[in-house]
Amino acid sequence: MMTLLAFSAALWSWHRPGEGINREWAPTWGLRLHFQADGLASLYALLATGVGLAVVVYAANYIPVHLRHQHRGDHEIVRFYAFLLLFMGAMVGLVLSQDLLLIFLFWDLTAIASYFLIGYDQENRNSRISAMMALLVTGISAIGFLIGALLLESAYGTFQLTELAVMAEPGHRLTIAAGVMMFAALAKSAQFPLHFWLPRAMAAPTPVSAYLHSAAMVAAGVFLIGRIHPLIEPSETLLHLLTLIGIASILTGGVLALSRDNLKQLLAYSTISQYGYVVLMFGIGGEYGVVAASFYVIAHGLAKSALFLTAGAVSEATDARELSAMGGLWRQMPVLAVAAAVSAGGLAALPLTMGWFKDELFFKAAYQENRLIQAAAIVAAGLTFAYMGRFWIGIFMGKPRGPVKSVSPLLVAPVVALGATTILGGIWPDPFTRLAGSAASATLLAPVGIHVEYAMSAETIMAFIAFGFGTLIIATTRLWSPAATRVAALGARIGPERAYSLTLYGLNQFSDKIHQIEVRDLRSRVASVLFPAALLVGATLLSFDVAEIYDHGRFQLRDIPTAVLLLLVAIAAIAAAVPRDHYSMALALSGVGFALAVVYSLFHAPNVALVAVLIETLFSLLLFGFLALLPGDIDHAQVVPSDDPASESNIHQARDIVLAGIAGLFAFVVAWGVLSRPAALESVIEQHIVLTPSAHGQNIVSVILADFRGLDTMGEITVIGIAFLGIATHLRRRLAR
Amino acid sequence: MTVMTRVFVRLLLLPSWMIAFAILIKGYGDTGDGFSAGVVAALGVLLQYLVFGVETMDRMAVVRKARWCSATGLLLALTVTFSPLLWGDTILTHSPGVGASPVHLGSVELITAFAFDTGIFLLVLGFCIGAIDLIARATPRKPS
Repeated sequence: MMTLLAFSAALWSWHRPGEGINREWAPTWGLRLHFQADGLASLYALLATGVGLAVVVYAANYIPVHLRHQHRGDHEIVRFYAFLLLFMGAMVGLVLSQDLLLIFLFWDLTAIASYFLIGYDQENRNSRISAMMALLVTGISAIGFLIGALLLESAYGTFQLTELAVMAEPGHRLTIAAGVMMFAALAKSAQFPLHFWLPRAMAAPTPVSAYLHSAAMVAAGVFLIGRIHPLIEPSETLLHLLTLIGIASILTGGVLALSRDNLKQLLAYSTISQYGYVVLMFGIGGEYGVVAASFYVIAHGLAKSALFLTAGAVSEATDARELSAMGGLWRQMPVLAVAAAVSAGGLAALPLTMGWFKDELFFKAAYQENRLIQAAAIVAAGLTFAYMGRFWIGIFMGKPRGPVKSVSPLLVAPVVALGATTILGGIWPDPFTRLAGSAASATLLAPVGIHVEYAMSAETIMAFIAFGFGTLIIATTRLWSPAATRVAALGARIGPERAYSLTLYGLNQFSDKIHQIEVRDLRSRVASVLFPAALLVGATLLSFDVAEIYDHGRFQLRDIPTAVLLLLVAIAAIAAAVPRDHYSMALALSGVGFALAVVYSLFHAPNVALVAVLIETLFSLLLFGFLALLPGDIDHAQVVPSDDPASESNIHQARDIVLAGIAGLFAFVVAWGVLSRPAALESVIEQHIVLTPSAHGQNIVSVILADFRGLDTMGEITVIGIAFLGIATHLRRRLAR
Repeated sequence: MTVMTRVFVRLLLLPSWMIAFAILIKGYGDTGDGFSAGVVAALGVLLQYLVFGVETMDRMAVVRKARWCSATGLLLALTVTFSPLLWGDTILTHSPGVGASPVHLGSVELITAFAFDTGIFLLVLGFCIGAIDLIARATPRKPS
């Protein structure tokens, strides 16, 4: 019901574009809540809510049955609808957004919702892996989008697409920014070579696939290309890249779709191939390319979701998921057979369906280009014709195999509705071309008017060549099918999916190793913080001109007390590092602290000295308290290693000394460097001194703590509170024992 | 422990608290702040620990309620930090503002920064006493 309302709202907003919303969100960062229902937004919002409506109706029957199959409770359907509707909301938000960061936000929201939808069968390991794969591929590539957005913001000072489209000047920065954003879009649209997550995601329940993998999630990718097209267009390289990736995806998807036996897998590869068309058309660009791309998305979304729903319905009826396990279903399910035929015909671009015009526009766009692209277009259309034919014939024609259950009309009705729309688009294409035209004008930032009708032209001839080629492929199945299977097997062995799993495995191993080193004992924990920090700091230092930084000033008579005290500090520090028993180490450490407190007082900083003395007292007390908690018989053995030269603890000790030495050395070098050049800090301090009376105080330290840097203090005291909680929880457990 | 230590230590408690209080309220004008005051006050209490032992200390309210003391302090500081948001100022805007003259209580100026400092005082006091108290209770006692 709500979905119907949302669909109507989307329809209404297309007919009457409003002002949109443009409000400040986080003004200091230049973030705005900027929503605008332009043509592009209307197209995808209509698609997302329209197909969503069909899927919601379908799922009302499908999901309870699905849950019963898996012996799960009916209440789990709530989770399905929650995430499906969250996805729909995110998708609509995404297409309406005009602000790059807002787009990023909704983009990631769709990824998160899709993770839960693909992994809906959470008991199934395969669905969990697939969900994670989809999330990783689309989520990591989304970082590219963020990088691109930040690159543009740093150059032009805005995240607003409308402003960027006008301001952006062609150049390396724009190419790189648009390129990484395009990368995110292509990954989301499952384009080669990041296509592998989509077939995997077929582990999702069928309604999810029908929605996400036809009209929503993968469509979000090409939507984004349409949205940032003004940023991509100035770069020839990027357009060529789009063309290439489009062709590669068409071929990969097409060939693999021909070799799949599993219904949903076939459709998944077909989706990769179909979105390859769209990407190719964006690569071709121009008025025809962009209109064709937009029109293609509509036609494909309607037809493909219908086919997914068909696959779900026939699997429900036959309990089979493979083409080879079904056949002859048209007798038992005539209505579904016709509706599916219309949708398959829509994808294969038969006349009297919306698909005819999608291919006509596609060929028109390709016709302006060189021979290679024309040939690719015909091969692509032929492949589509072939695997769609294979899909439909495999299910509905041939000999019946096995018993067939009757399915609820609710599983058929959405397919019929979607099929009827496809036919409507074939007879009366005007509303759909107008929608595609307004989307294209939002992409191209210029009005577009394109009209289609049935007429003989070069494109018609290309279409018929493609049909012929497709028929040829179907007719010669025996000849090529071993080859296609071999290509698929080769792809599985050396393809990008293998690279993905190897990378994931390697990273996991690496992280495990580091983790093992880090958590072996307390020392490796400390070392794993100090040592990398020292290396980082050291690298920074070495990249500067070192000689100028270091300066020790002149030694004067009045410095003698300070020098003596610091000498004391040094001796105490060295004493603390020499392993003896814990108590003397603790005593030496507090010696360091107290001596330093006296140094502060010599520098006329009574407040700092007071705090230092108190902190030292408190720390010593706490330290001794905790040492008393340690079991007495173990600590000695740990501090003084055994004499066995080959023992592991000796090696560890040597390593600890080296690491500590390096960390200490760099800490020393940095401290010296900073003390030689304290100039930068002084200006802030001077301001603080000037401002202190106006904050009703005379004690600069107190005023800084409570007022100027009050938020820092707030954070620090919160840490004290948390530490207290930690101590309490740990020791209370001990008390209870 | 001799009788003398017992008497002296007991006598020292009140002065140590008074000094802590002085450090706290004079903090904005002179040396001192909420943190130092909290530690000084806590040290006064901890001195009692040394002499009278854990069991006797249970009688002192501040020992039993150390956690509440900390929590109140944190809450007070948080309130001072975030309440300016309620009337549209940024976080931790102290009042009275620049130039306005605060209410005096004797020579003490009543300003929100002081309330913030008091929060720190309570938190630190509760933390020091509570942490040492917990450690003292958890330490295995050697049979004497």
